[in-house]
Amino acid sequence: MVNPKNLVRLALLLLPVIAQAAGAAPKKDYIVTGSKPDRLFVIDAAARRVVGDFKIPGAHDWVGTIVPSPDGRVAYVLVNRMESIAGIDLGTGKEVFRADLSSPGERVKSLFAFDVTPDGKRLIVYEVPVKLGLSEYLVEPTRFAIFDTNAGLHAKPVREYPAPRRVHTLLASKNDRTFYAIGFDLYEYDIATGKRLDTRGIRHWDHPGHSRPDLLAFWPVSEPTGIFATPIYSTRTPASGHGAPVPVTSLMTLNLRTGALAYHDVEKTSALIFSAVMSPTEPAAFGVYTQLTKIGTHPYRVEKRVDLPHTYYAVLVSTDGKEVYTAGAMCDVTVFDADTLAEKANIRLPGCGDQSVTSPRLVRR
Amino acid sequence: MSGMKPLNPKAQLLTEAERAGHVEEIVTMESVAGCATTFDPGWEVDPFGGVASLCQPMEADLYGCSDPCWWPAQVPDTLNTYPNWDAGAPSAQNDWRELDAVFPKK
Repeated sequence: MVNPKNLVRLALLLLPVIAQAAGAAPKKDYIVTGSKPDRLFVIDAAARRVVGDFKIPGAHDWVGTIVPSPDGRVAYVLVNRMESIAGIDLGTGKEVFRADLSSPGERVKSLFAFDVTPDGKRLIVYEVPVKLGLSEYLVEPTRFAIFDTNAGLHAKPVREYPAPRRVHTLLASKNDRTFYAIGFDLYEYDIATGKRLDTRGIRHWDHPGHSRPDLLAFWPVSEPTGIFATPIYSTRTPASGHGAPVPVTSLMTLNLRTGALAYHDVEKTSALIFSAVMSPTEPAAFGVYTQLTKIGTHPYRVEKRVDLPHTYYAVLVSTDGKEVYTAGAMCDVTVFDADTLAEKANIRLPGCGDQSVTSPRLVRR
Repeated sequence: MSGMKPLNPKAQLLTEAERAGHVEEIVTMESVAGCATTFDPGWEVDPFGGVASLCQPMEADLYGCSDPCWWPAQVPDTLNTYPNWDAGAPSAQNDWRELDAVFPKK
């Protein structure tokens, strides 16, 4: 009898052959990142080469969150001091979408938080508006704004909904129907109605023995697994019940397909981790800051840690799980072996502008 | 914090708040909603009481902090009032000499 697992393996092996026979080039991993003052780069990960170097119109020295379209053809980039989202064609560099959030008399910023729906048709944007009066500023209620991605260069919201304050990460679920907003807690909203469907604890997490946690999560990376992961910090009462609380690094994971939210303790905090990504092929995650950390997930523990030449804010993993890419902060991307964490290559960005708080992303196309 | 001495006015304020029992009021100001309300006294030291776990080198972190207004005391508010502060200086490690002090507009 044929083992179904073997059939799946055979199909996976034949896919590139079938694609080639059909005339389609096999898909490759590309790293998309940005830098000051207005640059957007596309890097062929395997070739270690910058294959796209584009200028984003009206960036005003500020390049932030990057959200690739599901088909990998367009990158939506937060620019203009958090006040505009530019959609850039990753093949040509042409601007194909533009939403200027502010208008005369109202300054609107999006604090890192926006995403595109899995069907590629809508952008969901968290907006922080302020009314600019002659003698005073009036802080207005925060809101979610929905844009059609085919709206061109003068996109206006097609819908707006009330939103909680302090949202800094927004993640579309894979069901095309809801999205998650990470703020004081984790909120789930219906895209069509703006109704809040669920609230689950972050600040009010249910993690026995732990203090209220601290979280800095504005790298909205969930590729290639569909699971968003971020470090989260707290203190834990010693098992004896006596003595000073112990600082603990945990990993928060949110499965964008199933909605499963989980917290796992990793270690008594011995080094900082800014952002993390889940491996697609092994029970592991990778975290980065001034060290690169490999975190085992069965059980959760630090498996390996290496010092980096400088701080990186962001980390990606290749689709085959074999390579890890550190990026963000300064002007280079470094390639590491996912098993040994040995450095394999370093890619310096043309112009050497700082990547700063941009969120480098992995695109498969 | 009995073994630590404040080194700047913000740290001094925190120490005074602790003595007066008002630390909780400061914790409630942690919301990141722009330069004016960011309050992050942790920059003087890292979570381990030293400086080794701050970003390395400092220039790697300069724009990472100024872009989202994370450094209200040390750099201008580049999101609102001084958006051109870092114009023409895209690399903090190479262009830091171009970053100047700012003064209130008359």
